[in-house]
Amino acid sequence: MNNTVLELKNISFKYKNDLILNKINLKINSGEKIALLGKSGSGKTTLISVLNGTIKPTQGEVKLFNKNFEELDRKQKSKITTIWQDLRLIEDLSAEQNVNCGLLAENNFYFAFKNLLNISSFKKAHKYMKLCRLHNSIYNKKIRELSGGQKQRVAIARSLIQGSNILFADEPFNNLDPKLITTIKNLMLDRFDKNNIKKSPKTALVALHRLDFLNDFDKVIGIRDGKIFFNIKKNNLKKIHLDKIY
Amino acid sequence: MNKLKLNYTSLSFLPILVCIPLGYQLINNIHFGGFKLFQEFLISAFNPKIDNEIIITVIKRLNETILIGFFSWLVSIIFGAIFGIISSNIFYKIFNIPNFFYRIIRFFLTIIRSIHEVVWGILLMQIYGINFSIGIIAICIPYIAVNSKVFAEQLENIDYRSFESINQINAPKFSSLLTLIWNPIINTFKNFGLYRLECSIRSTVILGLFGIGGIGTSIYLSFQTLNFRDLWTYLWSLAILIILSGLIFKKIKFNTTNKILSIFFIAVFFLTILFSFSYFLYFIFNSNFENFNSVSSQFNSSSDLGLFNFLKLILETIILSLLSTGIAISLPPLVIGIFNNNTSKIFIKIFAFLLRLIPTPVILLTLLFFNNPSVSLAALTLGLHNAGITSKLLFTNLESQDKRNYIAMKSLGISKKTSWLLGLFSQQAKSYLAYCAYRSDIIVRETAIVGVIGSVGLGWQLQESLSSFAWQEVTIVLIAYSSIAIVGELINGKIKNSLT
Repeated sequence: MNNTVLELKNISFKYKNDLILNKINLKINSGEKIALLGKSGSGKTTLISVLNGTIKPTQGEVKLFNKNFEELDRKQKSKITTIWQDLRLIEDLSAEQNVNCGLLAENNFYFAFKNLLNISSFKKAHKYMKLCRLHNSIYNKKIRELSGGQKQRVAIARSLIQGSNILFADEPFNNLDPKLITTIKNLMLDRFDKNNIKKSPKTALVALHRLDFLNDFDKVIGIRDGKIFFNIKKNNLKKIHLDKIY
Repeated sequence: MNKLKLNYTSLSFLPILVCIPLGYQLINNIHFGGFKLFQEFLISAFNPKIDNEIIITVIKRLNETILIGFFSWLVSIIFGAIFGIISSNIFYKIFNIPNFFYRIIRFFLTIIRSIHEVVWGILLMQIYGINFSIGIIAICIPYIAVNSKVFAEQLENIDYRSFESINQINAPKFSSLLTLIWNPIINTFKNFGLYRLECSIRSTVILGLFGIGGIGTSIYLSFQTLNFRDLWTYLWSLAILIILSGLIFKKIKFNTTNKILSIFFIAVFFLTILFSFSYFLYFIFNSNFENFNSVSSQFNSSSDLGLFNFLKLILETIILSLLSTGIAISLPPLVIGIFNNNTSKIFIKIFAFLLRLIPTPVILLTLLFFNNPSVSLAALTLGLHNAGITSKLLFTNLESQDKRNYIAMKSLGISKKTSWLLGLFSQQAKSYLAYCAYRSDIIVRETAIVGVIGSVGLGWQLQESLSSFAWQEVTIVLIAYSSIAIVGELINGKIKNSLT
């Protein structure tokens, strides 16, 4: 049975005269947890942006559930969630309003209106914020008033509350202390036992720098200068592979 | 030899050079025929008339002014926000609408706002006659376009990354739009609303000078009959109104976390839209169209305006704009810099407040006590009035600025004036010039008012053409006016962009 959820066919992306992604072919199967390794500037963020449909590749095809991105309806597209490296939170909104933004896709306009007027129910948002170890004293604080680590967890909570099947995360453990990293990693990669979130993402692709996290993943992809150098099972990863990309 | 280096600070002072040609013409045109009258005018400021009769008139007139000013403000700020949204690029990005529509709406709004409310007022009065509604409509038309520009500029500052992240959630388009624009819209309203309310009241007063009603009409009639004591009663009551409206506006907390208050604001928002639409339809279908028919029939009238005269008027309008802008930019920093002590500052603030308070036509008529009508006199009037506005901004910014540099320079033994210039003003010069670029847009439009009163430029020609129902001329003059304002806005936009 073909359980490919996302497929990149011969993807290239050019920005001005620079070739950021160079003929990338990639298949992501349902339930796979993939670590994306590479130096800064190797093309990890651009690859994630192509995968989640934010940028259109200069060349090639992106297929989600065997359909081109343009052919998908809004509901299908909302099955993808992203934790951006630069977080991309709305600075003027409070932490709980930002987390509630993750529910916009499954609700109507009236929900967005209530969220902005603070008359929405924040129960679900609070649940996810608690899971991300965010203290209730910051729920009403504007994003600009939060520390880097708090912002990071708000972005993670916003992403997880979406209940999407596919997660892309670009260096999501920045600004977090070691204890929090374990908690967040478990949340993101569906290994949470207590207070389990029912809809945690089945499939995940996470851009990383830290190699000690690789145990949590099934596969590892190495990228350098916009090219995939290896796409292997975690157990097959050897030093020689890493030497190619670092 | 040292070369003259132009930086933002020196650029703020350089336009004062306009005073050389301006002063030359003013000195040549000087006369002292109105000295006694001016003396009476000044004394009356401290001795305004206060009796039952005038108090009743003031209340009645202020009531009209508040009604016109407040309603035009409310309608223009709400519709300004709506047009601001549909003329901002974020709207087109979210809904995937081609940029072509964006350009069309922007161009349309630019034309609408290029014509001053006084011109709209005079034009509508000629078509529909003097009518209370004309005041509101005349102010609303350009103000909606002006406000929409401000809102659109704020919306275009939305971080593109926030847009991408919300877009990536794949929420319904209207939900994404609302979430992204909510805070910029609320913040613009908070920061800009009071200023626009002040502008609406001032515009109501100016339209009153042309017969729309309200306190402006009383100001003009009392000036014409040289009842300066009455005039000052009206002016001071207007000052109280402006100060009070500012205080009330500041007291109202636009707290969107308060549920009851939020629901109230939303109700006001929708009721205003509903009321405006129904009123607009009522106005269109119940107005007397006889005048309008006469407009269309006289559209065939031939124009007596010669090409040479027409070009001369255009040139006059451009010169008038440049000279006024020069004064409005350079006079405030120059005066504040020279008279840099606490007592002088109080006097400068009072003088600036009076320049903002007294409608430009009244300033011009007062200056006519000493001088013959000329481009320079009109430019001085417009420049002084706008200097009153730019100086308010400069004072506010200077007062909120970090003064450590200024104190450090003074402690080094550098003179107070030099310390002010290099330690305080130099840090403000860039943002001050950016604001002045925006202000010069308004100056170009305001040339219509002083033109009508001071017999210069296209404003005067417009009045003449309207009085003689020469509609072809009116159209030509309006197109010329609009073109100057649009070109001015384009140039100022470039300057502003390079400064911000």
